[in-house]
Amino acid sequence: MLDYAEPISRLIDELRRLPGIGHKSAQRIAFHLLRIPPEEARRLTSAIEEVKEKITLCSICNNFTDRDPCRFCTNPARDRSVICVVEEPTNLVTIEKTREYRGLYHVLHGALSPIRGIGPEELKIKNLLERLRDGHVKEIILATNPNTEGEATASYLARLLKPLGVTVTRIAMGLPVGSDLEFADEVTMHKALANRRQI
Amino acid sequence: MIITRIEVRGFRNIHHGQFEPQGQLNVLYGANAQGKTNWLEVIYLLATAGSFRTSRLSEALTYGGREAILRALVECHGLRKELAIQLTSRSKRLFVNGKREPSIRYLGQLAAFICSLEQMNVVRGEPEYRRQFLDQGAASIDPKYAKVLETYNRILKQKNRLLRQVADHPHPNTLIDQIETWNQQLIEYGTIVHRVRSQYVEKLQEVLEGNLFGKEEIQIRYASSLEAHGELDDYAALLAERLRVRLNAEIAVGYSLVGPHRDDLEIRFDGRELRRFASAGQQRSALLMLDLARISVYNRELDAYPIFLIDDIDAELDRERIDILLGYLQGKAQTFMTTSKPDVAAAFADRAALFRIEDGQVRTEASR
Repeated sequence: MLDYAEPISRLIDELRRLPGIGHKSAQRIAFHLLRIPPEEARRLTSAIEEVKEKITLCSICNNFTDRDPCRFCTNPARDRSVICVVEEPTNLVTIEKTREYRGLYHVLHGALSPIRGIGPEELKIKNLLERLRDGHVKEIILATNPNTEGEATASYLARLLKPLGVTVTRIAMGLPVGSDLEFADEVTMHKALANRRQI
Repeated sequence: MIITRIEVRGFRNIHHGQFEPQGQLNVLYGANAQGKTNWLEVIYLLATAGSFRTSRLSEALTYGGREAILRALVECHGLRKELAIQLTSRSKRLFVNGKREPSIRYLGQLAAFICSLEQMNVVRGEPEYRRQFLDQGAASIDPKYAKVLETYNRILKQKNRLLRQVADHPHPNTLIDQIETWNQQLIEYGTIVHRVRSQYVEKLQEVLEGNLFGKEEIQIRYASSLEAHGELDDYAALLAERLRVRLNAEIAVGYSLVGPHRDDLEIRFDGRELRRFASAGQQRSALLMLDLARISVYNRELDAYPIFLIDDIDAELDRERIDILLGYLQGKAQTFMTTSKPDVAAAFADRAALFRIEDGQVRTEASR
Protein backbone atom coordinates (compact mmCIF):
# COMPACT_ATOMS: atom_id res chain seq x y z
CA MET A 1 0.00 0.00 0.00
CA LEU A 2 2.99 2.30 -0.61
CA ASP A 3 1.21 3.83 -3.59
CA TYR A 4 -0.79 6.19 -1.37
CA ALA A 5 -0.02 8.72 1.31
CA GLU A 6 -0.22 7.01 4.69
CA PRO A 7 -3.60 8.54 5.82
CA ILE A 8 -5.24 7.42 2.57
CA SER A 9 -4.04 3.87 2.85
CA ARG A 10 -5.21 3.82 6.46
CA LEU A 11 -8.69 4.92 5.36
CA ILE A 12 -8.75 2.25 2.64
CA ASP A 13 -7.68 -0.30 5.21
CA GLU A 14 -10.50 0.66 7.58
CA LEU A 15 -13.11 0.65 4.83
CA ARG A 16 -12.03 -2.80 3.75
CA ARG A 17 -13.03 -4.19 7.12
CA LEU A 18 -16.67 -3.36 6.39
CA PRO A 19 -18.90 -6.21 5.20
CA GLY A 20 -19.30 -6.44 1.43
CA ILE A 21 -16.44 -4.01 0.74
CA GLY A 22 -13.48 -5.35 -1.20
CA HIS A 23 -10.26 -3.61 -2.04
CA LYS A 24 -11.62 -1.95 -5.18
CA SER A 25 -14.73 -0.55 -3.51
CA ALA A 26 -12.68 0.61 -0.53
CA GLN A 27 -10.41 2.53 -2.88
CA ARG A 28 -13.35 4.09 -4.72
CA ILE A 29 -15.05 5.16 -1.48
CA ALA A 30 -11.80 6.57 -0.08
CA PHE A 31 -11.24 8.73 -3.16
CA HIS A 32 -14.85 9.84 -3.11
CA LEU A 33 -14.40 10.94 0.51
CA LEU A 34 -11.25 12.85 -0.44
CA ARG A 35 -13.21 14.88 -2.99
CA ILE A 36 -16.33 15.76 -0.95
CA PRO A 37 -16.60 19.04 1.04
CA PRO A 38 -15.38 18.83 4.68
CA GLU A 39 -18.95 19.40 6.07
CA GLU A 40 -20.20 16.34 4.25
CA ALA A 41 -17.37 14.21 5.62
CA ARG A 42 -18.04 15.55 9.11
CA ARG A 43 -21.72 14.61 8.81
CA LEU A 44 -20.64 11.06 8.07
CA THR A 45 -18.17 10.83 10.95
CA SER A 46 -20.61 12.38 13.39
CA ALA A 47 -23.38 9.97 12.24
CA ILE A 48 -21.04 7.07 12.98
CA GLU A 49 -20.04 8.55 16.33
CA GLU A 50 -23.65 9.19 17.25
CA VAL A 51 -24.84 5.62 16.69
CA LYS A 52 -21.86 4.33 18.64
CA GLU A 53 -22.69 6.69 21.54
CA LYS A 54 -26.46 6.57 21.61
CA ILE A 55 -27.52 3.18 20.34
CA THR A 56 -27.59 0.30 22.78
CA LEU A 57 -29.42 -2.98 23.05
CA CYS A 58 -32.86 -2.87 24.63
CA SER A 59 -32.53 -4.64 27.98
CA ILE A 60 -35.83 -6.44 27.37
CA CYS A 61 -35.88 -7.47 23.70
CA ASN A 62 -32.23 -6.83 22.60
CA ASN A 63 -33.26 -4.70 19.63
CA PHE A 64 -31.03 -1.72 18.77
CA THR A 65 -32.50 1.33 20.47
CA ASP A 66 -31.71 4.91 21.48
CA ARG A 67 -33.68 4.57 24.71
CA ASP A 68 -34.01 1.66 27.04
CA PRO A 69 -36.52 -0.04 27.05
CA CYS A 70 -37.16 0.42 23.32
CA ARG A 71 -40.24 1.91 21.66
CA PHE A 72 -41.73 -1.54 20.97
CA CYS A 73 -41.37 -2.74 24.54
CA THR A 74 -42.85 0.48 25.99
CA ASN A 75 -45.66 0.97 23.44
CA PRO A 76 -48.96 0.41 25.34
CA ALA A 77 -50.79 -0.33 22.06
CA ARG A 78 -48.76 -3.51 21.43
CA ASP A 79 -50.12 -6.91 22.36
CA ARG A 80 -48.04 -8.04 25.35
CA SER A 81 -49.23 -11.64 25.18
CA VAL A 82 -47.23 -12.48 22.02
CA ILE A 83 -43.47 -12.41 21.41
CA CYS A 84 -42.00 -12.88 17.97
CA VAL A 85 -38.43 -14.25 18.11
CA VAL A 86 -36.07 -13.25 15.28
CA GLU A 87 -32.36 -13.74 14.58
CA GLU A 88 -31.35 -10.19 13.66
CA PRO A 89 -32.68 -6.64 14.13
CA THR A 90 -33.09 -6.42 10.33
CA ASN A 91 -35.55 -9.34 10.49
CA LEU A 92 -37.63 -7.36 12.97
CA VAL A 93 -37.77 -4.45 10.53
CA THR A 94 -38.98 -6.78 7.77
CA ILE A 95 -41.82 -8.12 9.91
CA GLU A 96 -42.71 -4.65 11.18
CA LYS A 97 -43.04 -3.37 7.61
CA THR A 98 -45.98 -5.69 7.00
CA ARG A 99 -48.01 -3.81 9.70
CA GLU A 100 -49.70 -7.17 10.36
CA TYR A 101 -48.02 -7.96 13.61
CA ARG A 102 -48.88 -6.01 16.76
CA GLY A 103 -47.11 -8.06 19.41
CA LEU A 104 -43.64 -7.73 20.96
CA TYR A 105 -40.27 -8.89 19.66
CA HIS A 106 -37.18 -10.68 20.86
CA VAL A 107 -33.88 -10.51 18.98
CA LEU A 108 -31.48 -13.44 19.45
CA HIS A 109 -28.53 -11.84 17.59
CA GLY A 110 -27.69 -14.99 15.67
CA ALA A 111 -28.62 -18.62 15.21
CA LEU A 112 -27.13 -21.87 16.47
CA SER A 113 -24.14 -22.88 14.37
CA PRO A 114 -21.60 -25.21 15.97
CA ILE A 115 -19.17 -24.80 13.06
CA ARG A 116 -19.09 -21.05 13.71
CA GLY A 117 -18.82 -21.61 17.44
CA ILE A 118 -22.31 -20.27 18.17
CA GLY A 119 -24.13 -22.18 20.90
CA PRO A 120 -27.11 -21.20 23.08
CA GLU A 121 -24.83 -19.15 25.40
CA GLU A 122 -23.88 -16.90 22.50
CA LEU A 123 -27.53 -16.11 21.77
CA LYS A 124 -29.81 -13.83 23.80
CA ILE A 125 -31.91 -16.64 25.20
CA LYS A 126 -31.59 -15.99 28.93
CA ASN A 127 -33.61 -12.77 28.94
CA LEU A 128 -36.27 -14.39 26.76
CA LEU A 129 -36.87 -16.90 29.55
CA GLU A 130 -37.05 -14.05 32.06
CA ARG A 131 -39.79 -12.40 30.02
CA LEU A 132 -41.99 -15.47 30.46
CA ARG A 133 -41.76 -15.48 34.23
CA ASP A 134 -44.73 -13.18 35.00
CA GLY A 135 -47.15 -15.31 32.95
CA HIS A 136 -48.47 -12.52 30.66
CA VAL A 137 -47.00 -14.07 27.55
CA LYS A 138 -49.27 -16.68 25.97
CA GLU A 139 -47.57 -17.29 22.63
CA ILE A 140 -44.04 -17.32 21.25
CA ILE A 141 -43.72 -17.11 17.46
CA LEU A 142 -40.41 -18.50 16.25
CA ALA A 143 -39.44 -16.48 13.18
CA THR A 144 -35.84 -17.61 12.76
CA ASN A 145 -34.64 -18.11 9.18
CA PRO A 146 -35.92 -21.12 7.22
CA ASN A 147 -32.41 -22.60 6.78
CA THR A 148 -30.72 -25.39 8.75
CA GLU A 149 -29.31 -23.03 11.40
CA GLY A 150 -32.62 -21.22 11.85
CA GLU A 151 -34.47 -24.53 12.04
CA ALA A 152 -32.06 -25.89 14.64
CA THR A 153 -32.49 -22.70 16.69
CA ALA A 154 -36.29 -22.87 16.45
CA SER A 155 -36.41 -26.50 17.46
CA TYR A 156 -33.95 -25.92 20.31
CA LEU A 157 -36.08 -23.02 21.61
CA ALA A 158 -39.29 -25.02 21.21
CA ARG A 159 -37.90 -27.78 23.44
CA LEU A 160 -36.84 -25.18 25.96
CA LEU A 161 -40.07 -23.16 25.98
CA LYS A 162 -42.85 -25.72 25.70
CA PRO A 163 -42.43 -27.08 29.25
CA LEU A 164 -43.01 -23.51 30.51
CA GLY A 165 -46.66 -23.72 29.49
CA VAL A 166 -46.55 -21.20 26.66
CA THR A 167 -47.86 -21.83 23.12
CA VAL A 168 -44.91 -22.09 20.73
CA THR A 169 -45.52 -21.55 17.02
CA ARG A 170 -43.22 -21.53 13.99
CA ILE A 171 -43.83 -19.19 11.03
CA ALA A 172 -45.19 -21.06 8.02
CA MET A 173 -42.60 -22.51 5.68
CA GLY A 174 -43.06 -23.48 2.10
CA LEU A 175 -43.18 -21.87 -1.29
CA PRO A 176 -42.07 -18.28 -1.70
CA VAL A 177 -44.71 -16.05 -3.29
CA GLY A 178 -43.98 -15.33 -6.95
CA SER A 179 -41.94 -18.50 -7.46
CA ASP A 180 -42.66 -21.60 -9.47
CA LEU A 181 -43.55 -25.08 -8.18
CA GLU A 182 -41.09 -26.54 -10.67
CA PHE A 183 -38.13 -25.12 -8.78
CA ALA A 184 -39.21 -26.14 -5.28
CA ASP A 185 -37.02 -28.83 -3.73
CA GLU A 186 -38.63 -31.78 -2.03
CA VAL A 187 -38.29 -30.55 1.54
CA THR A 188 -39.81 -27.18 0.67
CA MET A 189 -42.69 -28.84 -1.17
CA HIS A 190 -43.22 -31.24 1.71
CA LYS A 191 -43.44 -28.33 4.16
CA ALA A 192 -45.73 -26.39 1.87
CA LEU A 193 -48.10 -29.37 1.76
CA ALA A 194 -47.91 -30.01 5.50
CA ASN A 195 -48.68 -26.33 6.17
CA ARG A 196 -51.51 -26.08 3.66
CA ARG A 197 -54.71 -24.30 4.66
CA GLN A 198 -58.33 -24.20 3.64
CA ILE A 199 -59.40 -21.33 1.39
CA MET B 1 -27.76 -32.45 -26.21
CA ILE B 2 -24.61 -31.19 -27.84
CA ILE B 3 -22.19 -28.36 -27.29
CA THR B 4 -21.57 -26.45 -30.51
CA ARG B 5 -19.11 -23.88 -29.23
CA ILE B 6 -16.98 -23.32 -26.13
CA GLU B 7 -15.11 -20.18 -25.18
CA VAL B 8 -12.94 -19.73 -22.11
CA ARG B 9 -11.03 -16.83 -20.54
CA GLY B 10 -8.74 -16.89 -17.53
CA PHE B 11 -9.27 -20.51 -16.50
CA ARG B 12 -6.13 -22.44 -15.41
CA ASN B 13 -3.70 -22.27 -18.35
CA ILE B 14 -6.37 -21.11 -20.80
CA HIS B 15 -5.84 -17.34 -21.10
CA HIS B 16 -8.28 -17.18 -23.93
CA GLY B 17 -9.35 -20.03 -26.15
CA GLN B 18 -12.31 -21.36 -28.06
CA PHE B 19 -13.36 -24.17 -30.31
CA GLU B 20 -16.33 -25.63 -32.11
CA PRO B 21 -16.72 -29.32 -31.35
CA GLN B 22 -18.63 -31.64 -33.63
CA GLY B 23 -21.78 -33.42 -32.54
CA GLN B 24 -20.26 -36.88 -32.07
CA LEU B 25 -16.73 -37.73 -31.09
CA ASN B 26 -14.11 -35.11 -30.30
CA VAL B 27 -10.51 -36.02 -29.52
CA LEU B 28 -8.32 -33.51 -27.70
CA TYR B 29 -4.68 -34.45 -27.94
CA GLY B 30 -1.36 -32.91 -27.07
CA ALA B 31 1.70 -33.38 -24.89
CA ASN B 32 1.29 -33.61 -21.13
CA ALA B 33 0.61 -30.44 -19.13
CA GLN B 34 -0.74 -28.56 -22.16
CA GLY B 35 -4.25 -28.28 -20.71
CA LYS B 36 -6.28 -31.08 -22.26
CA THR B 37 -8.00 -31.98 -19.00
CA ASN B 38 -8.64 -28.28 -18.33
CA TRP B 39 -11.01 -28.27 -21.29
CA LEU B 40 -12.88 -31.30 -19.94
CA GLU B 41 -13.04 -29.59 -16.58
CA VAL B 42 -14.58 -26.53 -18.29
CA ILE B 43 -17.33 -28.68 -19.82
CA TYR B 44 -17.94 -30.46 -16.53
CA LEU B 45 -18.10 -27.15 -14.69
CA LEU B 46 -20.55 -25.68 -17.17
CA ALA B 47 -22.75 -28.74 -16.66
CA THR B 48 -22.62 -29.12 -12.89
CA ALA B 49 -21.36 -25.72 -11.65
CA GLY B 50 -18.68 -27.72 -9.80
CA SER B 51 -15.33 -29.26 -10.66
CA PHE B 52 -14.25 -32.89 -10.65
CA ARG B 53 -10.79 -31.77 -9.58
CA THR B 54 -11.20 -29.26 -6.79
CA SER B 55 -13.82 -28.02 -4.38
CA ARG B 56 -12.07 -24.64 -4.23
CA LEU B 57 -12.83 -23.08 -7.58
CA SER B 58 -10.71 -20.03 -6.81
CA GLU B 59 -7.70 -22.28 -7.41
CA ALA B 60 -8.83 -22.71 -11.00
CA LEU B 61 -8.30 -19.06 -11.95
CA THR B 62 -5.34 -18.39 -14.21
CA TYR B 63 -2.42 -17.54 -11.95
CA GLY B 64 -2.66 -13.85 -11.07
CA GLY B 65 -6.02 -13.47 -12.81
CA ARG B 66 -9.10 -11.90 -11.23
CA GLU B 67 -11.85 -13.74 -13.02
CA ALA B 68 -12.59 -16.59 -15.37
CA ILE B 69 -15.39 -16.71 -17.91
CA LEU B 70 -16.62 -20.04 -19.29
CA ARG B 71 -19.19 -19.99 -22.06
CA ALA B 72 -20.88 -22.70 -24.11
CA LEU B 73 -23.53 -22.85 -26.77
CA VAL B 74 -25.74 -25.84 -26.12
CA GLU B 75 -28.33 -27.39 -28.39
CA CYS B 76 -30.99 -29.64 -26.94
CA HIS B 77 -34.36 -30.66 -28.37
CA GLY B 78 -33.88 -28.09 -31.14
CA LEU B 79 -33.37 -25.24 -28.66
CA ARG B 80 -30.14 -23.23 -28.51
CA LYS B 81 -28.96 -21.86 -25.21
CA GLU B 82 -25.90 -19.99 -24.12
CA LEU B 83 -24.61 -21.02 -20.71
CA ALA B 84 -21.93 -19.03 -18.94
CA ILE B 85 -20.14 -19.10 -15.61
CA GLN B 86 -18.17 -16.21 -14.20
CA LEU B 87 -15.70 -17.15 -11.49
CA THR B 88 -13.79 -14.82 -9.23
CA SER B 89 -11.75 -15.68 -6.15
CA ARG B 90 -14.86 -15.13 -4.06
CA SER B 91 -17.86 -15.78 -6.25
CA LYS B 92 -19.42 -17.96 -8.90
CA ARG B 93 -22.15 -16.47 -11.09
CA LEU B 94 -24.30 -18.51 -13.43
CA PHE B 95 -25.92 -17.16 -16.59
CA VAL B 96 -28.42 -18.57 -19.06
CA ASN B 97 -28.72 -16.59 -22.29
CA GLY B 98 -26.96 -13.67 -20.66
CA LYS B 99 -29.31 -13.52 -17.68
CA ARG B 100 -28.00 -14.33 -14.22
CA GLU B 101 -29.83 -17.29 -12.66
CA PRO B 102 -29.78 -19.02 -9.27
CA SER B 103 -28.21 -22.49 -9.40
CA ILE B 104 -31.58 -24.22 -9.14
CA ARG B 105 -32.61 -22.65 -12.45
CA TYR B 106 -29.21 -22.96 -14.09
CA LEU B 107 -28.57 -26.64 -13.41
CA GLY B 108 -30.23 -29.16 -15.67
CA GLN B 109 -29.55 -27.29 -18.91
CA LEU B 110 -26.42 -29.31 -19.62
CA ALA B 111 -25.42 -32.70 -18.25
CA ALA B 112 -21.98 -34.30 -18.38
CA PHE B 113 -20.42 -37.42 -16.92
CA ILE B 114 -16.71 -38.02 -16.73
CA CYS B 115 -14.75 -41.23 -16.95
CA SER B 116 -11.22 -40.76 -15.69
CA LEU B 117 -8.46 -42.51 -13.84
CA GLU B 118 -9.72 -41.24 -10.49
CA GLN B 119 -13.07 -42.76 -11.33
CA MET B 120 -11.50 -46.21 -10.99
CA ASN B 121 -12.12 -45.58 -7.29
CA VAL B 122 -15.79 -46.30 -7.97
CA VAL B 123 -14.92 -49.93 -8.61
CA ARG B 124 -11.97 -50.34 -6.28
CA GLY B 125 -11.99 -47.54 -3.72
CA GLU B 126 -13.86 -46.54 -0.61
CA PRO B 127 -17.69 -46.34 -0.48
CA GLU B 128 -17.63 -42.53 -0.72
CA TYR B 129 -16.67 -42.76 -4.41
CA ARG B 130 -19.66 -45.00 -5.10
CA ARG B 131 -22.01 -42.70 -3.19
CA GLN B 132 -20.64 -39.83 -5.24
CA PHE B 133 -21.22 -41.81 -8.46
CA LEU B 134 -24.87 -42.25 -7.48
CA ASP B 135 -25.32 -38.68 -6.28
CA GLN B 136 -23.94 -37.23 -9.53
CA GLY B 137 -26.28 -39.46 -11.53
CA ALA B 138 -29.33 -38.66 -9.42
CA ALA B 139 -28.56 -34.90 -9.49
CA SER B 140 -28.22 -35.01 -13.28
CA ILE B 141 -31.83 -36.08 -13.64
CA ASP B 142 -33.10 -33.93 -10.76
CA PRO B 143 -30.86 -30.92 -9.99
CA LYS B 144 -32.93 -30.17 -6.88
CA TYR B 145 -31.41 -33.28 -5.32
CA ALA B 146 -28.03 -31.50 -5.29
CA LYS B 147 -29.49 -28.96 -2.88
CA VAL B 148 -30.98 -31.62 -0.62
CA LEU B 149 -27.59 -33.33 -0.49
CA GLU B 150 -25.78 -30.08 0.22
CA THR B 151 -28.13 -29.38 3.11
CA TYR B 152 -27.71 -32.91 4.46
CA ASN B 153 -23.92 -32.48 4.44
CA ARG B 154 -24.17 -29.14 6.18
CA ILE B 155 -26.36 -30.62 8.94
CA LEU B 156 -23.83 -33.42 9.32
CA LYS B 157 -20.97 -30.96 9.62
CA GLN B 158 -22.81 -28.99 12.32
CA LYS B 159 -23.65 -32.15 14.23
CA ASN B 160 -20.09 -33.49 13.98
CA ARG B 161 -18.74 -30.28 15.47
CA LEU B 162 -21.00 -30.75 18.50
CA LEU B 163 -20.09 -34.44 18.82
CA ARG B 164 -16.40 -33.51 18.94
CA GLN B 165 -17.02 -31.04 21.77
CA VAL B 166 -19.05 -33.26 24.11
CA ALA B 167 -16.12 -35.14 25.66
CA ASP B 168 -14.39 -32.01 27.04
CA HIS B 169 -17.48 -29.95 27.79
CA PRO B 170 -18.31 -28.99 31.41
CA HIS B 171 -22.07 -29.39 30.76
CA PRO B 172 -22.38 -32.12 28.13
CA ASN B 173 -26.17 -32.22 28.46
CA THR B 174 -26.59 -28.79 26.88
CA LEU B 175 -24.71 -30.11 23.84
CA ILE B 176 -26.77 -33.29 23.71
CA ASP B 177 -29.95 -31.17 23.62
CA GLN B 178 -28.53 -29.40 20.59
CA ILE B 179 -27.46 -32.63 18.90
CA GLU B 180 -31.06 -33.75 18.99
CA THR B 181 -32.24 -30.65 17.14
CA TRP B 182 -29.74 -31.42 14.35
CA ASN B 183 -30.80 -35.07 14.36
CA GLN B 184 -34.37 -34.01 13.58
CA GLN B 185 -33.19 -32.34 10.39
CA LEU B 186 -30.78 -35.18 9.65
CA ILE B 187 -33.76 -37.56 9.60
CA GLU B 188 -35.78 -35.26 7.35
CA TYR B 189 -33.04 -34.87 4.73
CA GLY B 190 -31.42 -38.29 5.22
CA THR B 191 -34.70 -40.00 4.39
CA ILE B 192 -34.81 -38.22 1.04
CA VAL B 193 -31.16 -39.02 0.29
CA HIS B 194 -31.79 -42.69 1.02
CA ARG B 195 -34.90 -42.84 -1.13
CA VAL B 196 -33.43 -40.95 -4.10
CA ARG B 197 -30.31 -43.14 -4.13
CA SER B 198 -32.23 -46.43 -3.78
CA GLN B 199 -34.55 -45.47 -6.62
CA TYR B 200 -31.63 -44.37 -8.76
CA VAL B 201 -29.89 -47.72 -8.24
CA GLU B 202 -33.06 -49.52 -9.34
CA LYS B 203 -33.10 -47.44 -12.51
CA LEU B 204 -29.43 -48.21 -13.16
CA GLN B 205 -30.00 -51.93 -12.67
CA GLU B 206 -32.86 -51.86 -15.18
CA VAL B 207 -30.66 -50.49 -17.95
CA LEU B 208 -27.35 -52.17 -17.11
CA GLU B 209 -26.32 -53.60 -20.42
CA GLY B 210 -25.38 -57.20 -19.91
CA ASN B 211 -23.34 -58.61 -22.77
CA LEU B 212 -21.75 -55.25 -23.60
CA PHE B 213 -18.33 -56.87 -23.29
CA GLY B 214 -19.06 -60.49 -24.06
CA LYS B 215 -20.86 -62.38 -21.36
CA GLU B 216 -19.69 -60.33 -18.40
CA GLU B 217 -22.57 -59.25 -16.19
CA ILE B 218 -22.85 -57.01 -13.17
CA GLN B 219 -25.53 -56.67 -10.54
CA ILE B 220 -25.85 -53.71 -8.26
CA ARG B 221 -27.72 -53.03 -5.07
CA TYR B 222 -27.97 -50.03 -2.77
CA ALA B 223 -26.57 -51.24 0.53
CA SER B 224 -28.02 -49.13 3.32
CA SER B 225 -25.95 -49.03 6.49
CA LEU B 226 -29.21 -49.52 8.39
CA GLU B 227 -30.41 -52.66 6.62
CA ALA B 228 -29.18 -55.05 9.29
CA HIS B 229 -31.10 -53.15 11.96
CA GLY B 230 -34.72 -53.17 10.84
CA GLU B 231 -37.33 -52.45 8.21
CA LEU B 232 -36.15 -49.97 5.56
CA ASP B 233 -39.76 -49.35 4.46
CA ASP B 234 -40.19 -46.85 7.26
CA TYR B 235 -36.72 -45.40 6.86
CA ALA B 236 -37.38 -42.22 8.87
CA ALA B 237 -38.51 -44.23 11.92
CA LEU B 238 -35.57 -46.62 11.64
CA LEU B 239 -33.10 -43.77 11.27
CA ALA B 240 -34.58 -42.01 14.31
CA GLU B 241 -34.34 -45.23 16.33
CA ARG B 242 -30.72 -45.87 15.29
CA LEU B 243 -29.72 -42.29 16.05
CA ARG B 244 -31.17 -42.68 19.53
CA VAL B 245 -29.50 -46.04 20.17
CA ARG B 246 -26.11 -44.95 18.81
CA LEU B 247 -25.93 -41.50 20.38
CA ASN B 248 -23.43 -42.56 23.04
CA ALA B 249 -21.28 -44.33 20.48
CA GLU B 250 -21.31 -41.21 18.32
CA ILE B 251 -20.25 -39.12 21.29
CA ALA B 252 -17.47 -41.59 22.08
CA VAL B 253 -15.94 -41.42 18.60
CA GLY B 254 -16.78 -37.75 18.05
CA TYR B 255 -18.49 -38.02 14.68
CA SER B 256 -21.73 -39.22 13.08
CA LEU B 257 -22.08 -42.99 12.74
CA VAL B 258 -25.68 -43.21 11.57
CA GLY B 259 -27.17 -42.03 8.30
CA PRO B 260 -26.97 -42.44 4.52
CA HIS B 261 -23.43 -40.99 4.53
CA ARG B 262 -22.41 -44.50 5.67
CA ASP B 263 -24.15 -46.33 2.83
CA ASP B 264 -22.57 -48.09 -0.12
CA LEU B 265 -23.34 -49.31 -3.60
CA GLU B 266 -22.76 -53.04 -3.78
CA ILE B 267 -21.42 -54.14 -7.16
CA ARG B 268 -21.23 -57.82 -8.06
CA PHE B 269 -19.45 -59.16 -11.10
CA ASP B 270 -20.67 -62.57 -12.18
CA GLY B 271 -22.03 -62.99 -8.68
CA ARG B 272 -18.89 -62.01 -6.80
CA GLU B 273 -18.02 -58.77 -5.03
CA LEU B 274 -16.32 -56.64 -7.65
CA ARG B 275 -13.96 -54.72 -5.43
CA ARG B 276 -12.42 -57.79 -3.83
CA PHE B 277 -12.73 -60.65 -6.25
CA ALA B 278 -12.68 -59.25 -9.76
CA SER B 279 -9.58 -58.78 -11.91
CA ALA B 280 -8.40 -55.30 -12.88
CA GLY B 281 -9.80 -55.85 -16.38
CA GLN B 282 -13.17 -56.88 -15.02
CA GLN B 283 -13.20 -53.79 -12.81
CA ARG B 284 -12.56 -51.60 -15.84
CA SER B 285 -15.39 -53.31 -17.72
CA ALA B 286 -17.73 -52.82 -14.80
CA LEU B 287 -16.90 -49.12 -14.60
CA LEU B 288 -17.66 -48.59 -18.28
CA MET B 289 -20.92 -50.53 -17.93
CA LEU B 290 -21.89 -48.36 -14.99
CA ASP B 291 -20.99 -45.21 -16.93
CA LEU B 292 -23.12 -46.38 -19.79
CA ALA B 293 -25.98 -47.18 -17.41
CA ARG B 294 -25.85 -43.64 -16.05
CA ILE B 295 -26.07 -42.30 -19.58
CA SER B 296 -28.99 -44.62 -20.40
CA VAL B 297 -30.93 -43.67 -17.28
CA TYR B 298 -30.47 -40.01 -18.16
CA ASN B 299 -31.76 -40.74 -21.64
CA ARG B 300 -34.77 -42.67 -20.36
CA GLU B 301 -35.74 -39.98 -17.89
CA LEU B 302 -35.10 -36.87 -19.96
CA ASP B 303 -35.15 -38.06 -23.56
CA ALA B 304 -31.73 -36.58 -24.32
CA TYR B 305 -28.14 -37.75 -24.09
CA PRO B 306 -25.67 -36.17 -21.67
CA ILE B 307 -22.14 -35.22 -22.74
CA PHE B 308 -19.61 -37.95 -22.06
CA LEU B 309 -16.04 -37.04 -21.11
CA ILE B 310 -13.17 -39.54 -21.12
CA ASP B 311 -9.94 -38.26 -19.64
CA ASP B 312 -6.66 -39.80 -20.71
CA ILE B 313 -7.72 -42.91 -22.62
CA ASP B 314 -4.14 -44.18 -22.93
CA ALA B 315 -3.71 -44.51 -19.19
CA GLU B 316 -5.28 -47.36 -17.37
CA LEU B 317 -8.53 -47.39 -19.25
CA ASP B 318 -8.75 -50.24 -21.68
CA ARG B 319 -8.65 -49.20 -25.35
CA GLU B 320 -10.50 -52.22 -26.65
CA ARG B 321 -13.37 -51.80 -24.25
CA ILE B 322 -13.51 -48.06 -24.87
CA ASP B 323 -13.85 -48.77 -28.58
CA ILE B 324 -16.86 -50.97 -27.89
CA LEU B 325 -18.35 -48.28 -25.67
CA LEU B 326 -17.74 -45.56 -28.28
CA GLY B 327 -19.38 -47.75 -30.89
CA TYR B 328 -22.35 -48.05 -28.60
CA LEU B 329 -22.53 -44.30 -27.99
CA GLN B 330 -22.12 -43.41 -31.66
CA GLY B 331 -25.02 -41.32 -32.85
CA LYS B 332 -26.11 -40.87 -29.23
CA ALA B 333 -23.92 -38.98 -26.77
CA GLN B 334 -21.52 -36.24 -27.79
CA THR B 335 -18.17 -37.39 -26.48
CA PHE B 336 -14.92 -35.62 -25.65
CA MET B 337 -11.79 -37.56 -24.92
CA THR B 338 -8.18 -36.67 -24.27
CA THR B 339 -4.96 -38.47 -25.13
CA SER B 340 -1.31 -37.55 -25.06
CA LYS B 341 -0.48 -39.90 -27.92
CA PRO B 342 -0.77 -38.56 -31.48
CA ASP B 343 -1.08 -42.08 -32.90
CA VAL B 344 -4.07 -42.80 -30.65
CA ALA B 345 -5.66 -39.59 -31.86
CA ALA B 346 -4.85 -40.50 -35.47
CA ALA B 347 -6.61 -43.84 -35.05
CA PHE B 348 -9.86 -41.93 -34.52
CA ALA B 349 -9.33 -39.55 -37.44
CA ASP B 350 -11.96 -41.22 -39.62
CA ARG B 351 -14.81 -40.70 -37.16
CA ALA B 352 -13.76 -37.89 -34.83
CA ALA B 353 -12.92 -34.22 -34.91
CA LEU B 354 -9.34 -33.83 -33.72
CA PHE B 355 -8.16 -30.85 -31.72
CA ARG B 356 -4.54 -30.33 -30.79
CA ILE B 357 -4.09 -28.63 -27.42
CA GLU B 358 -0.98 -26.55 -26.99
CA ASP B 359 -0.39 -24.23 -24.06
CA GLY B 360 -4.13 -24.15 -23.32
CA GLN B 361 -5.00 -23.19 -26.89
CA VAL B 362 -7.07 -25.35 -29.22
CA ARG B 363 -5.81 -25.91 -32.75
CA THR B 364 -8.26 -27.52 -35.12
CA GLU B 365 -6.91 -30.23 -37.39
CA ALA B 366 -8.41 -31.22 -40.68
CA SER B 367 -10.72 -34.17 -40.03
CA ARG B 368 -12.22 -36.90 -42.14
